Amino acid sequence: MLRRVASHLFWTARNLERAEWRARLADVNYHLLVESPAASSDGWLPLLAITGERAEFSARYPAADEQSVLEFFTIDEKNPSSIRSCIGLARENCRALRNHISSEMWFEVNTLYLDAQRWSAATFHEYGVYEFFFELRERFYRIAGVVRNTMPRELGYDFLTVGRTLEAAENVSRLLDVKYHFLLPRPNDVGSPLDLSQWAAVLRSASALEAYIGTYGNAIRIDKVVEFLLFDETFPRAARFCIDRLEAALERIAAGGGEGESVPGARMLASRLRSGSASAVLGGGLHEYLLGVQEDCARISDEMFARYLRFE
Amino acid sequence: MRFRVRHVTRFSYQEPAYESHNELRLKPRESPHQHTLAFQLEVTPPAAIIEYKDAFGNHVHAVSVHEAHRELEVSAYSLVERTEPPTLEGLTHPFGEFLQGDSMRAQEEYDFLSASRYVPFSDPLKKLFWMVHPRMEEPVAEYTRRVVAWVRDQFSYEPGTTNVHSDVNDILSTGAGVCQDFAHLTLGILRLAGVPARYVSGYLAPRGRTRPLGAQASHAWIEALLPEAGWTGFDPTHGCLTTDHHLRLAVGRDYGDVPPLRGVYRSPGTNYTMGVMLDVGESGDFDADPQDPGATQQ
Amino acid sequence: MQLAHCMMLRLSHGERLSGLGSEMPGDALPMSSAVPFSAAYRPLAGLFDEMFLEDGRARPGCEPIAQAIRSSPDLAVLQAMAERMLLRTGVTFNVYGERAGTERIFPFDVIPRIIDAATWQTLEAGLIQRVKALNAFVADVYGEGHILKDCVVPRDLILGSPQYRRGAIGLRPPHGVFITVAGIDLVRGADGRFRVLEDNVRTPSGVSYVIENRLMLTRLMPELLRECRVRSVEHYPADLLESLTELAPEGVERPTIALLTPGPYNSAFFEHVFLSQRMGVELVEGRDLVCIDHKLYMKTVHKLKQVHVLYRRIDDDFLDPVVFRPDSLLGVPGLTAAMHADSVAVANGIGTGIADDKAVFAYTPQMICYYLGEQPILPIVETFLLRDPEVRSKILRDLDRYVVKPTGASGGYGVVIGPRASDRELAEARERIESNPSGFVAQPMVKLSTHPTLITDEKGAPTPVPRHVDLRPFVLTGARPRVLAGGLTRVALREGSLIVNSSQGGGSKDTWVLDGPC
Repeated sequence: MLRRVASHLFWTARNLERAEWRARLADVNYHLLVESPAASSDGWLPLLAITGERAEFSARYPAADEQSVLEFFTIDEKNPSSIRSCIGLARENCRALRNHISSEMWFEVNTLYLDAQRWSAATFHEYGVYEFFFELRERFYRIAGVVRNTMPRELGYDFLTVGRTLEAAENVSRLLDVKYHFLLPRPNDVGSPLDLSQWAAVLRSASALEAYIGTYGNAIRIDKVVEFLLFDETFPRAARFCIDRLEAALERIAAGGGEGESVPGARMLASRLRSGSASAVLGGGLHEYLLGVQEDCARISDEMFARYLRFE
Repeated sequence: MRFRVRHVTRFSYQEPAYESHNELRLKPRESPHQHTLAFQLEVTPPAAIIEYKDAFGNHVHAVSVHEAHRELEVSAYSLVERTEPPTLEGLTHPFGEFLQGDSMRAQEEYDFLSASRYVPFSDPLKKLFWMVHPRMEEPVAEYTRRVVAWVRDQFSYEPGTTNVHSDVNDILSTGAGVCQDFAHLTLGILRLAGVPARYVSGYLAPRGRTRPLGAQASHAWIEALLPEAGWTGFDPTHGCLTTDHHLRLAVGRDYGDVPPLRGVYRSPGTNYTMGVMLDVGESGDFDADPQDPGATQQ
Repeated sequence: MQLAHCMMLRLSHGERLSGLGSEMPGDALPMSSAVPFSAAYRPLAGLFDEMFLEDGRARPGCEPIAQAIRSSPDLAVLQAMAERMLLRTGVTFNVYGERAGTERIFPFDVIPRIIDAATWQTLEAGLIQRVKALNAFVADVYGEGHILKDCVVPRDLILGSPQYRRGAIGLRPPHGVFITVAGIDLVRGADGRFRVLEDNVRTPSGVSYVIENRLMLTRLMPELLRECRVRSVEHYPADLLESLTELAPEGVERPTIALLTPGPYNSAFFEHVFLSQRMGVELVEGRDLVCIDHKLYMKTVHKLKQVHVLYRRIDDDFLDPVVFRPDSLLGVPGLTAAMHADSVAVANGIGTGIADDKAVFAYTPQMICYYLGEQPILPIVETFLLRDPEVRSKILRDLDRYVVKPTGASGGYGVVIGPRASDRELAEARERIESNPSGFVAQPMVKLSTHPTLITDEKGAPTPVPRHVDLRPFVLTGARPRVLAGGLTRVALREGSLIVNSSQGGGSKDTWVLDGPC
């Protein structure tokens, strides 16, 4: 497989995952604010904190109201990480891949792209925020299903997996980091309904609320949320689950080339997550731990690029 | 007379270069008056080299260096036997008669009668041509010599006024240039007159014990296709016929066909310096220990 | 809410055979209630119609098809189904000058164009002869140049052509084959005789439509196809692969072949994807390739893999920045040297454009005599070189009777059709010609043959009407020639229009070469 092709696959998956993740973040935040109108005045700011886009946003928008943030987050073509931009990037990568992905996958991604071209600020009014994100989520599930059901489990699929899991692990880590920072400094809130609904929202952002309850019961406790989102080995959006898949994919890639060892960063992060626990990381400082996870992700990306994707 | 030529070109890159591909025209081509007795090419870092001939029959070496390198050095060593070229004596074919074969020559010598990249048939060039147009009774050889001398007189030799990519219009507007410009200008006039003319790159070997430094021995002149004599060398920079000290490397329509070194490479940086060390001398009179290439910032 | 409700969304790739179920022919399709086809159809007076004689009877050989079409389910229904299938399979081309990534459907007409066995036999022989001579010509002008020395073709015409590549001199491709893929444009005038209008021997495209069009009619009219014993076109990719394999450097038994594309924004990208997929070879861009020690490699995930044959679909100028345009990022530095080292074959070879220069075209009949010692089987459309002062003054007097073409361009760009041009356009053409006479040729206007084509009339009913067509057959040359049966029939969909180019309102038809007498 050509390096360029592998690289297109990686970026396709990564951008699709990012777009999907942002759709879920926006959706959950919208719900949270509907449920607790008291917080709505600056209720959209945390969203921008999670994605690290506050500065870029305030440079071009006067106020962080719902309409502005949704626009910036979803349809703003000048924002390289808006959902529309991510879909556009995924589609551009797929375009060069038409020999290497199923026609079904191309069809779904291209259709989504063509639809996204017609989004405008009015779209939210026309359809309603809820309807918009609900439909969008369905589309991403459809793409995921098509990928799963039409792509042979070969090298190409492994690069798709690497792109998707790396993005997902980084996203969940950043979500926890920011939420922890925003939600904890107010000791009065601990255990209050607001706090609980905030943490429930965190779980919902990762589509994890039901799975969490299935594992830990109805009581939402911060340490359990951290345990679940970081260290659970069965839940598909947990960091550990993602990195396990990432490590396996990179090992298959290495084995395919007759390389003795896979990318070292992946093995390190996988073993770090396998041996971690919420109590330990909360005691030692969650922020520092998560920073470490994000650094590892960046390192994996660098190492993988140098080894498999770099052209020159 | 025998000459040894050592032509060293060294590139130093600020950032490592890699995937370097070059075409070299450094091996002297054969002619009735010049034979290459020995030739050797050395490239460091070690490179894969193949040789072929280009459209004009020049020797080309294609050199490929893939690995990253901070320096690329190309050394060409030639041993050349050069005989005294014949004079123009006895060449009396008059221009009027010569013109009768014009349409046939326009076909056979198309490349050397047409405008080319550095020799566009511009209005300023055409005006210049009318100032030195041929007379019907004048022998073609004599006319050619007259053009060459006239160009030498009309323009002044001043390095730095033009650059390697200047065309005839540039020397016409500045009134000064270097050997390359003198050659292009002369080619333009002769071609407009209907005399097939081609560009020659080569070396001018020093006489006596004075020895040029750096790239100064690199030279360019022209050849005109004269009736009764064939391709005959003229040196417009000096306003005369070529001598047994003019050593030919390659010929073409203009400079664009014969650069000694042309290529591309990849690098994260854009800055490099190029140094040329040229040593041309009569055989047996050769420095064992050449000076360092002088560096010129590009 | 619906995010996907617009039909435009179907402008995409995604072959969904399963989704076609109920729309396939054989199901309850409405039967035609309209007047019989042949009664409704009137060929135009003074033109050659491919299917019908002037009195409305089908041409000999075409009766069964005319009959079959007459009695088949409503053509309009088939046409609608064809269009739906096209949108789904995403047979598209990119349009220059429109927003990046714009993909368009190449319109398709469901009524096939028929070529009977005897006619094809002659065409095929003529095409093979022609491409053989063109190949000999290219090898000669970049080799010894005999034809120039013998003054059969003027040297200045060749050396002065913008398509002449001095960098190709001295290259000796395997079997002397420079032109591996040729697309020869044929037209049929009022006398019904096929003539060559122009050659395309650089990177001709269109063959993917031939195969896709057939696939469509295989689904829409399977019985008719079988009954008429139409020759297959599906082996083209295999033939191309075989031809390319035969060009492999000596000693390489199982060559690695790759198709070089300029990338997704090229107008023919769909075809590049299509061919590489059908041949099972890698589709590469310049940045996927690297030359090391005068060998060509592609950069795969785990290693460099040597490439022995490169089927390139980018122009000469962009192929190798060492020799051609130094600013090109599309090609591969060092490729020409690798060709000199005989480690890689490039198809089509460098400099083949000299053979489809429109001025050189005028000399193609002489080339056939010169190289093959044979009379040309296929005549060419008479071509006048405007650089000749006598010819020029004669043509300029009657400019409104000629078609003027720039010598270096392709794709119908810059063509002025005298009889259809305004006074101003003619004046402008005259000016361009006078300032650069050797840049233009003139040809008499050929009254292209017509073919029944389904066009929606003012009442909204699709009706078969005569429209002008041409034909681009494809000739492959490896160790031996191979001709694709038929080729691309292009049809000018606008009434009276003679321009069949896809970029200028043309469509296409499936071309049926019959395997024996009907």
